[in-house]
Amino acid sequence: MRSASDHATCPRPRLASRPRACLLAVVLAGASGAATAADLYVVCNANVTLQSSDVRDVFIGEKSFAGSTRLTPADNLAAQAAFLQRVVKVSADRYTSLWTKKSFRDGANPPPVKASDAETIAYVRQTPGACSYVQTTPPAGVIVVGKF
Amino acid sequence: MPRTTMNFSRYRMGALALVAVAIAVLPSAALSATGKQDPELAEMQNKLDQSLQMIQALTERVRELEAKQAAATAAATPPAAPPAAPVVADNSRLEAAEQKLDQLEKENASRTADDTGLPLHGFADVGVGTHNPINPALKGTYVGNLDFYLSPRLGDHTRALFEMNTEVGSDGTVGVDLERAQIGYQFNDQATLWVGRYHTPYGYVNTALHHGSWINNTLRRPRFLQFEDNGGIMPAHTVGLWLTGSTHVGGGKVLYDFYAGNSQEIFGGVLDMRNAGNTNGHMGGGARLAYQFSSGTAEGLMLGVHAFTARIGDNAMPANATRVLAYGGYAVYDTDQWEDIAEIYLFDDRDINGGSGTHRSNAGFVQFGYRATWGVPYARYERTVLEQTDPYFAALEGGGSYHRVALGARFDLDLKSAVKLELANTRLTDRSLEQYSEGLVQYAIRF
Repeated sequence: MRSASDHATCPRPRLASRPRACLLAVVLAGASGAATAADLYVVCNANVTLQSSDVRDVFIGEKSFAGSTRLTPADNLAAQAAFLQRVVKVSADRYTSLWTKKSFRDGANPPPVKASDAETIAYVRQTPGACSYVQTTPPAGVIVVGKF
Repeated sequence: MPRTTMNFSRYRMGALALVAVAIAVLPSAALSATGKQDPELAEMQNKLDQSLQMIQALTERVRELEAKQAAATAAATPPAAPPAAPVVADNSRLEAAEQKLDQLEKENASRTADDTGLPLHGFADVGVGTHNPINPALKGTYVGNLDFYLSPRLGDHTRALFEMNTEVGSDGTVGVDLERAQIGYQFNDQATLWVGRYHTPYGYVNTALHHGSWINNTLRRPRFLQFEDNGGIMPAHTVGLWLTGSTHVGGGKVLYDFYAGNSQEIFGGVLDMRNAGNTNGHMGGGARLAYQFSSGTAEGLMLGVHAFTARIGDNAMPANATRVLAYGGYAVYDTDQWEDIAEIYLFDDRDINGGSGTHRSNAGFVQFGYRATWGVPYARYERTVLEQTDPYFAALEGGGSYHRVALGARFDLDLKSAVKLELANTRLTDRSLEQYSEGLVQYAIRF
């Protein structure tokens, strides 16, 4: 199996510093974690107790509480396509439509959108009731609800 | 369950490296065509070299930390070889960088968790047709609705929804209605109690689809389910209390609604939901119960029953009063491919003041829609048989019987705008025997 660093090639150097930059690029590529591209982790704030079977309901606005904790899900743009396909099982257009109807009907607001795994993890760690999903191995400080 | 901190340190180091690479690229692009560098560039190059040296040192430090962790976790193996002499300056820089990243992380998280303002949403539509889709006496281009709704983020249990709709009347004047003004307390996932003005929960269409045309795959609602001021025969809004919720049962979900509010009255042929209360103290109410299949071959199917009753009077001289009882059922098949809806309403109305007894009527529609890659074609048949000796229907401007066949299609131009076409033929069957055909185009957006 090829690792991410296999893809980091070093073009012909034009500046004296370029070899070092290339080395750093290799380090950066290696920092992508042990998770493979196929992994999708649903993570929640440490104060959330949630079953993996509830994840879909949380993200379509059908489940708002985990015990007495108000859930505040967030979408992760970097992993949203995989999440919608594997967990919510709807197309992106349909997901948008579902939330538009939900919002208009019930006054519920769609999940905020995070741009990357790092931003998502930061949000989940810092926000009580937060849940989201990432494609890299989750760090400490969050609870992994399920791997899809 | 993997919870290693080392991976996260890798992210941080990766981020630092990325910043350094970005810094490295920018000055190189600024080299002059002659190959000479000005003093500022030379200074930047020096700083760049220093930065790269620091990165290299930090990289070495990460390797040391990784080696230490590996040694600590491998209890059976002898201690790792002593690391190279620590570089105090690098340690302090590493800690400072990590602290800075932690700070940025916290700031970012708190920013995104904050109340960033009041969410304002809206819909609008315009159109052109051989007839106005609401008032067939009018033809040409029309301005539809401009609908705003607010759904402020409140506390854990309090929810609110306000909807203001501006619409153009038959005489061309613009009116503004507070279509919904409801504040609710959500006890849990199974129960929310709303108070205020809300969409009366009967059938499917009245609560799933509403004033925004974009949200509806068809160009308009069934004629008899139009809003009160557009000729509808059911009270689309109620001012009162509404308990609603759902709970998982088996492979699906049971949805329920119970509500009670001010009895509506008829003024000038139009149902009025008595926003400020009524003078007679009469109340109306009803219930809706449905089962939604969430798995198996029936996934997407919802079957429900509903009932509504109210004592509804009018402003005729002498005034009529009717105990309206409407009940029926509905079925919805809503999937990625299909949107099929059928609703039926049976009326068993009792004339209270006139003594004409009980009058039975019925109304219903069936609609098939298919979500194709290019759009949503649909077909609908709707029909009402309304007893004209029933003082309730006799007093309503839209209380005449009819049947209509409609074929149409929706084309989404993007995620927020759609064009809809509809061809329809309507035949009025009691007050007059008029028949008319329509060709309608609508441009609807959401924002």
